[in-house]
Amino acid sequence: MSPGHPTDSSVSAAAPRETFVLNVGPQHPATHGVLRLKLTMDGEYVLHAEPVIGYAHRMHEKMGENRTYVQFLPNPSRIDYLSAMHYMHAYVCVVERALGIEVPPRAEYIRVITSELNRIASHLVWFGAFLLDLGAFTPLLYAFDDREKILDLLEAVTGSRLTYCYYRFGGLCNDVDEQFIEGTRAFVKHMRGRLGMYHKLVTENLILRKRLEGIGVISAELCRKYGATGPVLRGSGVPCDVRKLEPYSVYPEFEFDVPHFAEGDCMARYKVRMEEIAQSLRIIEQAIAKLPPGPVMAEKVPRVIKPPPGDYYFAVEAARGRFAIRLVSDGTEVPYRLKLRTPSFSNLALFGEAARGLLMQDALALLGSLDLVIPDVDR
Amino acid sequence: MAEQQAKWLSCAEGGAGSEPGSLVRFARLEQLLDWGRANSLWPLTLGLACCAIEMMAAGAARFDLARFGAEVFRPSPRQADVMIVAGTVNWKMAGPIKTLYDQMLEPKWVIAFGNCAISGGPFVFPGQYAVVEGVDKLFPVDVHVPGCPPRPEALIEGILELEQKITGTRRWPRVKTA
Amino acid sequence: MNELIEQLKSAYAVLVVPARADTQAAAVPAVVQPTDPERRGCHLEVTVTPAVVVDAAQVANRFGFAIDTITGIDWPEAGQMEVVYDFFHPQHRLHLVVRTRVPRDAPALPTIQDVFPGANWHERETHDFFGIKFIGHPDLTPLLLPEDADYHPLRKDFTNVSRSSN
Repeated sequence: MSPGHPTDSSVSAAAPRETFVLNVGPQHPATHGVLRLKLTMDGEYVLHAEPVIGYAHRMHEKMGENRTYVQFLPNPSRIDYLSAMHYMHAYVCVVERALGIEVPPRAEYIRVITSELNRIASHLVWFGAFLLDLGAFTPLLYAFDDREKILDLLEAVTGSRLTYCYYRFGGLCNDVDEQFIEGTRAFVKHMRGRLGMYHKLVTENLILRKRLEGIGVISAELCRKYGATGPVLRGSGVPCDVRKLEPYSVYPEFEFDVPHFAEGDCMARYKVRMEEIAQSLRIIEQAIAKLPPGPVMAEKVPRVIKPPPGDYYFAVEAARGRFAIRLVSDGTEVPYRLKLRTPSFSNLALFGEAARGLLMQDALALLGSLDLVIPDVDR
Repeated sequence: MAEQQAKWLSCAEGGAGSEPGSLVRFARLEQLLDWGRANSLWPLTLGLACCAIEMMAAGAARFDLARFGAEVFRPSPRQADVMIVAGTVNWKMAGPIKTLYDQMLEPKWVIAFGNCAISGGPFVFPGQYAVVEGVDKLFPVDVHVPGCPPRPEALIEGILELEQKITGTRRWPRVKTA
Repeated sequence: MNELIEQLKSAYAVLVVPARADTQAAAVPAVVQPTDPERRGCHLEVTVTPAVVVDAAQVANRFGFAIDTITGIDWPEAGQMEVVYDFFHPQHRLHLVVRTRVPRDAPALPTIQDVFPGANWHERETHDFFGIKFIGHPDLTPLLLPEDADYHPLRKDFTNVSRSSN
C-alpha cells in the first residue's frame, strides 16, 4: 500500500470532499462478463462499491420446476460453465440421494478424475484472465494452451469441450478408455513441469507481487458473515473444503491437503489456487492408480425418476467454492423446487465491504482474485 | 489469397470486374476499403456467458484468431467493427447491449455466436420471463454461428463467412464434407 | 461434533415466542429435529415462527456458523410460503437448517441482515422470486430481475410476463 493510502476513518473524516460515481460495466473487460459496479470514488480511492447483478439471469431455478429430472441434466453445466463437472456432480448426487441409488465405485472414481481435471482447467482460465486484468498478456496464452490439453481429454470421453453432460443418475453415460488413462497420466506429468514454469514466470515476478501482496485483505470473519467459500475463504486462513469437511463421492480415499494461507490478500488467493492445481494433480494420480474395474452405471436406476417427497440437500466443492442444491420433491417427475446455492454469489456479496478504501486498480485486482463467473452469480 | 489480390489488381487496372466509362470510380475505393476491413475485423469484447470462453479460446494460442486478423478485441464499441454476441441476452441486458450496438461506428456487423444469441437457445420455454429470444429482435444480425457452445473453429468459420459477406470472395477454400 | 449438536439443540429449545395476553396467543416453542445427513444433507432442522428468525440467526452466529443461503418455497395449497435459512460450519461437519412459514397473502418477516450482512442479497433475491417482504431490509429493489420488475416468477401461480418487444 502506498504511504498516502487513506484509512476508512480518514476518508470519511476529511469532509467536505468532492466525490463522483464511476460506472463500471455491464460491458467492461475487467468485470469478466456482465457485472456492473457502481463505485463512489474520491479521486482514485473507492469510497463505496455496489455491484449490480442480474444481467445474465437465465432462470435456471424456474427451469428446474418446468421440466423432468432428466430434462434438467444439461442445465447445471451451464450455470458455472467453467466448473461444469462439479455442478453436474452436485445435481446427480442430490437426485441419487433422494432415490437412494448406490453408484458403482468405478463411476465414482471417474467422476473424481474428471472433476479434478475440470478444476485444473477452471483455475487455468482464472490464472490467464486474472493476469490479463493485471496487464500481463503472455500467461493467458500458456494457460489456455495447457487447458486445451485437458479439454482434449475430456472431449474424448464426454463429447463436449465446455458444458459437459457426462454424469447420469447412477453413474456415467460411458466408460473411459485406455487412451484417456494414458493421456491423463501424461498430462499430470506435463502439468507438474508447467506449474514450475508458471511459478518462475509469474509468481516470483516483482510487479505481480507489488500488485497483490497486502492488497484487498479479506478477514475470515468477513467470509463467515457473507458465506464466502472456496479459495476466497481458504485465502483467509480457514482450511474449509467440502471435499474434506463433508466428504462426498470417494474423496476420503485420497490423500490431499487443503491449501490455505492466513494473509487474506490477493496474493494468498492466488497461491491457494496455484497450490490447488498441484493438489488436484495428486488426487488424479491416486485415482488413476486405484481405478477399479467394473460397471459405470448402477443396475437399479428407475426409468422414470420420481424421488420420494421430501427435502434433500447436497453440497460439493466446485472450483469457486461451495455449490449446493436444495431439492424439494413432491413425488412427481418434476422437481417442486430446485434451489441453487452458487459460490460466486456469496463471494461477490462481500466485494462492497472489502473494496472500501482501495485504489481503483487494487479494487479491480480484488475483483479478479474473487474469480467470478457472472452467470454463476445470476443463475 | 494470391488469387484475390490478382483479382483486386486487375480491378485497379480497369480490367475485368470494374465498370467502364466513368471517371469517378467509387466502386474501386469501396472494394479496396472492404478488402482492408475484411482482413482486420476488430471484434467488441462482449462475453456474456458460456460462449465467451470459447471466444477467448479462439483468440488464444491453439486456434489463434490472429491468423485472420480478427484478434484485436476492443473493449470500446467505438473502436470495434464487429460485435460477437457470445452468450445469453436477457431483458435486463437488452438495453445496454442496444446502446453498445448504437455506439459502434458504421460500417458494423454482428455475429450471433451460439444458440442463445440466435434464438434464446435452451432457455426458451412457455412462460419464460427473462431471456431475449434471439438478438435479431434487437438489431440486425449478419452471421449466425450455431452451437451450445460452438467450437472455436466455428467462430473462425463465422469470421470467414463475414469476410465473404464483406468482400464477396472467400479467403479460404470451403472444406468439402464427404 | 455430537456434543456441538446437543448444545445447539438446547440453545434452540429455549427459543420460544412468549405467550401474549392481548391476543391470547399461546407460547410457541421452536421445533428442533435432528436429521440423517446421509439421507437429507443436513444435521439439524429447526422450525420457528417468523417472529424469532433473528434470534435463530443469532444462535447460529454464536456457534460460529456461516450463512449458506436463504430461499423461499411456495405452498399454495397450505396458503403459506416457507423461508429456509441454511447455515454451514466452516470448521465442523455440521449443517443447520432454520425453517419458518409465513402466510401467502401477506408474506413478511424480519430481516437477519444485521446478524449476517451476507443475508442482504439472499433476502433481496427471495423477495425478487417470491415477493416475500423482509421487514427492516434497507433495499428490496430487484436484484436479479430488471430494476422495474413487478412480478415474482417462482410463485406457483406465476404464468407469464407481458413484454412489449421493444
